[in-house]
Amino acid sequence: MAYSTFNRNVYDHLRQPMFFGENVNVARYDQQKHPIFEKLIEKQLSFFWRPEEVDLTTDRKDFVNLPAHEQHIFLSNLKYQTLLDSVQGRSPNVAFLPVVSLPELETWLETWSFSETIHSRSYTHIIRNVVTDPSKVFDDILLNEEITKRAISVTAYYDDFIEVSSLYTLYGEGCHVVNGKEIDISLRELKKKLYLTLASVNVLEAIRFYVSFACSFAFAERALMEGNAKIIKFIARDEALHLSGTQQMLSLMASGSDDPEMVDVARECRDEVIEIFRQAAEQEKEWAQYLFKDGSMIGLNANILGQYVEYITNVRMRALGLEPLFSVHSNPLPWINSWLTSDNVQVAPQESEISSYLVGAIDSSVDSDDFDDFDL
Amino acid sequence: MDAVRRIRVNDSLEFDYQQEFSLLDALEARAVPVLHSCRGGYCGCCKVRLSEGRVSWHQDSLVPLQDDEILCCCCTPLTAIAINVPEC
Repeated sequence: MAYSTFNRNVYDHLRQPMFFGENVNVARYDQQKHPIFEKLIEKQLSFFWRPEEVDLTTDRKDFVNLPAHEQHIFLSNLKYQTLLDSVQGRSPNVAFLPVVSLPELETWLETWSFSETIHSRSYTHIIRNVVTDPSKVFDDILLNEEITKRAISVTAYYDDFIEVSSLYTLYGEGCHVVNGKEIDISLRELKKKLYLTLASVNVLEAIRFYVSFACSFAFAERALMEGNAKIIKFIARDEALHLSGTQQMLSLMASGSDDPEMVDVARECRDEVIEIFRQAAEQEKEWAQYLFKDGSMIGLNANILGQYVEYITNVRMRALGLEPLFSVHSNPLPWINSWLTSDNVQVAPQESEISSYLVGAIDSSVDSDDFDDFDL
Repeated sequence: MDAVRRIRVNDSLEFDYQQEFSLLDALEARAVPVLHSCRGGYCGCCKVRLSEGRVSWHQDSLVPLQDDEILCCCCTPLTAIAINVPEC
């Protein structure tokens, strides 16, 4: 039952579910059950970027000149982003890899987590450049009550799933006594936990991150902390891809085109998923109050950010086929779109880091028409 | 020359496709409010329902779609089309 790094069972990998089937053996991508994950991997690889590409020297000057309450907004936002990516840089690997059963999905999980580690490294790059003592910022992530409160809510589903899933991997289904404690492990319950964990990851990437992006971009809208915004733009592009990955997994499960049992699981979990969205929106609104407790900034305050939380929550719920929770219809921060669009800015490559510049992207489709004007 | 391809939006507006890069660009050129974000087929914001006609995809959608759904940023009309754009 224990996890095998190279499962020697012979089975048809195209008939495996995404999770809780056989452990993956051969990492093969010639035939895929869900080719969408390969497309996500290719897109993610074409997005590769390095934080050091972005120069932050003017950000340091900008930061020093910010009023105290804006420094608080900037640093608190950065701490929150650091927390979120600390979690995301490891958790998809720790939680999902031991139970994944498709090679293309396994590789997507690893590619996804790897890109999150680049995000974490970029926060260090930013913090190193804008403050003299980075430790003060990093240490506060564990000490500041407002941030630790956020940590509990973003990790609860992950931790619960990891605990039960590791017991399942060790002991299998049934009643077991572990350290004198009786535990009852059912695969059905575990699948429920998996579905809810994926929903909470979707909320993390599709709502929580976007609230933090709004704050980062609000500074840059005033031509402040622009290097930071450039990095966050890269991160936002990655996150949009990651959230489509979790949406794909949730939709495949709910549609029955993967594991038939997951259709019922998805139906049973529907109310709790809505509750996850509702709670996250509430928590993000509370966070907005904390950010702006000492004062607002031009273009953004707790109220507008709260409206954005409601707006983005509605958009994400609709994407999963859920009824939106809030009455807000239009985007209260329309300017954010120009920051979230990765490909519509045309600049000379030597002038700026362009997110649409693909490294190693090759179009290998050749049609016989392509040779029409070819003479020997 | 290509035949004129009409685009009908929510049964309330109709215009000709003018060879814009994508359906999203065509809608924007007519100031039709449509939600969008990444323009790369992966955020799923510009998802609309295609009720008539066919489209040609110039990039893959990376988000889950129903059979009658398309991403405006990823395709152009192949024939006259009718789409339902959600309120935004």
